[in-house]
Amino acid sequence: MAEAAVAAGGRGARAGRPLLPAVAWRNLWRNGRRTWLTAGGIAFTVFLIVFSMSFQRGAYVQMIDNATALLSGHLQIQNRHYVEDKRVEQTVADVSRLVNRLEGQPGVESVAPRVEAFALVSAGERAFGAQVLGVDPERERRTVRFFDRVAEGRMIEGMTDAVVGEVLASNLGIGVGGEIVLLGTGKEGGVAALALDVVGVFRTGIPDLDRAMVAAPLAMVRDAFGLGDEAHTLVVRSAEVTESARLERQLDDWLPAPLIARNWDEVMPDIRQGIEIDRIGGYFVYGLIAIVVIFSVVNSFIMTVFERTREFGMLRAIGMRPGRIVLMVQIEAAFVWVLGAAIGLALALPIVLWLQVYGFYLGDEVASMVESMYVPARLHTRMTPVALGLAPAVMLVGTQIAALIPSLKIRRLQPVTALRAEE
Amino acid sequence: MNNDAVAVCSGVTRTYQEDSVPVHALRGVDFTFSRGDFVSLTGPSGSGKSTLLNILGGLDRPDSGTVSVDGVALNDLNETQLSDLRLAKMGFVFQSYNLIPVLSAQENVEFIMQLQGVAPAERAERAVATLAALDMADLAHRRPGELSGGQQQRVAIARAIVTDPVLLLADEPSANLDSATTEDLLRLLRRLNEERGVSVLTATHDPMVMKYAHRRVNLRDGAIVEDSAADGV
Ligand SMILES: Nc1ncnc2c1ncn2[C@@H]1O[C@H](COP(=O)(O)OP(=O)(O)OP(=O)(O)O)[C@@H](O)[C@H]1O
Ligand SMILES: [Mg+2]
Repeated sequence: MAEAAVAAGGRGARAGRPLLPAVAWRNLWRNGRRTWLTAGGIAFTVFLIVFSMSFQRGAYVQMIDNATALLSGHLQIQNRHYVEDKRVEQTVADVSRLVNRLEGQPGVESVAPRVEAFALVSAGERAFGAQVLGVDPERERRTVRFFDRVAEGRMIEGMTDAVVGEVLASNLGIGVGGEIVLLGTGKEGGVAALALDVVGVFRTGIPDLDRAMVAAPLAMVRDAFGLGDEAHTLVVRSAEVTESARLERQLDDWLPAPLIARNWDEVMPDIRQGIEIDRIGGYFVYGLIAIVVIFSVVNSFIMTVFERTREFGMLRAIGMRPGRIVLMVQIEAAFVWVLGAAIGLALALPIVLWLQVYGFYLGDEVASMVESMYVPARLHTRMTPVALGLAPAVMLVGTQIAALIPSLKIRRLQPVTALRAEE
Repeated sequence: MNNDAVAVCSGVTRTYQEDSVPVHALRGVDFTFSRGDFVSLTGPSGSGKSTLLNILGGLDRPDSGTVSVDGVALNDLNETQLSDLRLAKMGFVFQSYNLIPVLSAQENVEFIMQLQGVAPAERAERAVATLAALDMADLAHRRPGELSGGQQQRVAIARAIVTDPVLLLADEPSANLDSATTEDLLRLLRRLNEERGVSVLTATHDPMVMKYAHRRVNLRDGAIVEDSAADGV
């Protein structure tokens, strides 16, 4: 049918129409079935890769978003020495002023200062080591989503309120309404002691947090550990998580020594590695699929070139240079690619865009399996220029090379021999 | 008719290795082809007609001896130069598979001019005019598959002469045609030779060609055994 359309258009023989692309295009329809098969392979590859890559990108962004939103934020500002050695005295000083100035920085949405310390948490006879976070609940709420995770009870409000991880609570044998005592070492080396009421129990799905973390009001923790207007970490939320790397560089230039900004991928290297491994695994699979399909394109062009030996011999005889004939075959390959890539994209784009808006539900089982990797239950694809362009670009190069392999024979073609071929 | 030579070969030999047995296709051929000539190359099958035609047309190279066309020594040319020379100076009509199957008759004729870099408008104009001169105007938009054998050969001739070649080489152009069509084709070549001064060299088994050619060159076992004015003159 495509042939008929082109033939009808071509019959007019408009003066000046460049004949090489016309020949190339019409040659495709001498064996339409083969052309459709080849284009179909390209379409399949483009569709699969565009879809999977958009899917991966979407999953990554949401993973990063979930992981950073849970507790650690997009960026963290810390004392350089604290990064190397987490001692209680390696703090960020003059926190109130710094927080205000930070919030005036372009790209910074909100900032939450935290005091972090280690303490022995006890309730009655039982005691466990845990991380103590001194937090400003109001600022935390604007910066991370941690406090949505309070499964029982409520978030910290009063000065003696505390929330504890679900596993820690059950290890301690307490629940909402229980009392805990924290014992640690203060900034000056003295004993830091704090008695708190458990007002909430949180469940994050991240074992380390659920098993060994307590959050309490910033002022109380500072007081107990002998800290002034200090913090160990300023958690920063940027407008977009994808902007955080740029914001990190901006803040690094701006912050006075010894403070440094750390992007989420430094704070949570395992997330970054997980993404890298998945990305590489993806490329490996895509590469294999692309190679298989490109081999089938090679095969199809070997047939095409072989079947037309005599025609090429005639073209050589009348004085067409081998390079022009090779060019003609390359144009044919380009047309097949256009067909395949267009079909592949036409199929992939609506699906990817739809899923970008509406997402799709992984199912309860899968969702609970991937929770600890911060993968959300409802995944949204994400269309990026790379996800959209990589597969078509690779297939363009692939089909050009695939066509070139058999057509190199044309360079050595002797017109007389070719014309004598199997009379 | 002027008598300057458009193609000269002297001492041309060509030996093929067929299963390591040497086949002497040409054994020292001296031959001069003059402008405006209409030569028929005859001889039994395997006598070397196609080989001589191919060597004159720059499609094949002699093992020894020299060939020159329009003053250019072919021995000195590389493949690309030979290819360009064929495009510029030769017109070819083969027994079959002359045309690009996906192009219409007119496009086939235009195609060769496009290779030469002729401007689009002129290309179309010359193709139409040439096809019309060969009574093919009505069929200009048909593809080769929709034309009879004789009509296809007319298109091939149109393509061969539209570039005003110094030499039209036809290797058994009528081999696949019935005798009426063959006669038609020969009359056409004769007309082109007379009216347009196209120099024609055609290899053939067909005795009918003798009626139309000026000169007959008879080959036997790779050597010219007869070179005479033919009945056609
Ligand atoms: N490419 C080739 N390889 C091997 N032998 C060849 C080749 N081309 C021609 N020959 C041999 O050279 C001899 C001359 O062949 P050529 O084709 O010139 O004869 P011809 O006069 O055109 O015959 P015909 O009338 O059958 O076309 C023949 O014996 C042929 O088998
Ligand atoms: Mg022959």
